[in-house]
Amino acid sequence: MTDAISISNAQLRFGETAALDGVSLAIPQGTCFGIVGESGSGKTTLMRAVLGLQKLDQGEIRILGNPLVHSRAALKQRASFIQPIFQDPAASLSPRSRIRTLMNEVGTVLREPHAAMHERLRVILNRLGLPPGVIDKYPHEISGGQARRVAIARALLMKPSILIADEPTAGLDVSVQGDLLNLLQDIRRSDNITLVVISHNLAIVRLIAENAVVMRAGKVVEGGEVGSLFKSPREAYTRELLAAWPGVTQSKPTG
Amino acid sequence: MAISLRNLSVDYSLPQGTAHALRGVSLDIEKGELLGLVGESGSGKSTVAFALMGLLANNAKVTSGTATIDGKSFDLTKRNATAALRGRGMAMIFQDPMMSLNPVFTIGTQLCEVLRRRSPGSDRKARVGMAEDALDKVKLSNPRRRMNQYPHELSGGMRQRVVIAMALLSEPALLIADEPTTALDVTVEAQIMREIIGLRDRIGCAVLLITHSLGLVTEYCDRLSVLYAGERLESGTVRQVQRQPGHPYTRMLFDCEVPIDRERQADASENRFTVISGDLPDPRRRPPGCIFNGRCDVSFDDCAVINPGDYPVGNEAEHRARCLRLATP
Repeated sequence: MTDAISISNAQLRFGETAALDGVSLAIPQGTCFGIVGESGSGKTTLMRAVLGLQKLDQGEIRILGNPLVHSRAALKQRASFIQPIFQDPAASLSPRSRIRTLMNEVGTVLREPHAAMHERLRVILNRLGLPPGVIDKYPHEISGGQARRVAIARALLMKPSILIADEPTAGLDVSVQGDLLNLLQDIRRSDNITLVVISHNLAIVRLIAENAVVMRAGKVVEGGEVGSLFKSPREAYTRELLAAWPGVTQSKPTG
Repeated sequence: MAISLRNLSVDYSLPQGTAHALRGVSLDIEKGELLGLVGESGSGKSTVAFALMGLLANNAKVTSGTATIDGKSFDLTKRNATAALRGRGMAMIFQDPMMSLNPVFTIGTQLCEVLRRRSPGSDRKARVGMAEDALDKVKLSNPRRRMNQYPHELSGGMRQRVVIAMALLSEPALLIADEPTTALDVTVEAQIMREIIGLRDRIGCAVLLITHSLGLVTEYCDRLSVLYAGERLESGTVRQVQRQPGHPYTRMLFDCEVPIDRERQADASENRFTVISGDLPDPRRRPPGCIFNGRCDVSFDDCAVINPGDYPVGNEAEHRARCLRLATP
């Protein structure tokens, strides 16, 4: 089977800094893939490149086997199978329009009848645990957790086969974070979606992803199956990341 | 007793009514101790800090509360009650270091400003020397060059170090750190926490660490207090609370933490995350009984009626929690 996303030798410089410095990776279809690293390691730039929002200086990106083409038509076509969930959900929701307006745009892009789209939306909202009334609200009227669900609902409405989530749990409380991650896992399995999770939270990537890469300064430091990657990291940097994690270290009481 | 806060209650007047953000919250921090104040968004943990510093928004009103800092008592219901302490008796580290730094002044100017306020008589050269020394102590590379740089020239972690250096220079009795590392990477987070602890050891101040991360608290703090919907549900030493959480909410919070060594299982259903179902109660109308009733997994009939007192947990003197289960086993 062709890989959902394959990147070979991606290079990108912003002035002096190498944002991507020879990144190569392959994400198999139907799996969950984690990209971890600190700020400035190039995680988000890589996501933007995969979405076609950022041109590479060198290298190639293939999505479902097809090379990425930079044109408006290609971008629009790509939107029907690859969808992002951006880091700051509030920033991807227009503060001036109701959530209904945002969802209607999906219908316009897909050329889907209004009623059919809203029927699908109703199912998705229900599944995400959002009240149907949420679509009549403005982004400022909903909480951070809800805004993130709305962003996910919009992405799902496009019926993508690849979902890329950039820091899906940043700024969320632990209780809400777990809920959202469970949801993403359920959706991925039931809809057979390839899920790419970009996060600096190693603990969650370890649990939800099958494979992961560790990035630093635009390079892939190390990668592989999460079990061995986290249990016996080969690179000093990965060990440093793991050691820095503040954890509830002592054994917990039972019952 | 270095710092004590008694019976702090804060109301916010909103267009939709009055929100009771804090209700009767008390805290004690010994000198040289790190107290972690844990709570989810909306629990009122930042309001505690702002009430102490006198930085509350205009629509907020302290309805009750006294703070005792270094033997002096302050009535927090009065406006600017702790103004005399700001910058000398108390210092604060915000989540966003740019809240404490002025973008149009160099780092050096801002550090010297702290010293000028603390000891007006000192001469300029001595102040510059002390400021450089402080930057060196928080392990900022090349302090002399940093003195002439502007905040925008530094990274987030470096800016936070500058703010810690400012706190170091003001030698406060109480340092409040409100989510100091939330915007930073894990490796930088560990470094910044080490600097905060270094500062505490150097000047022996009390530190109030406000965070939503239990991991951070169990790793670095001596004691912890758990805040939920404006009420303190539990307090004790980190070891006590970790070994035997007195309140179901605390136990559930611990369960939600994802340990870094938790391994992925082949069976997908084993990889689920623990959640606390339900929502925060409406801060405008406090339901009767226990504030956590409704989300609690061990509640019984009385929980909806009786507001629990602060009961001791086990036989430990300092460990207390507000749960009826402790009074009626």
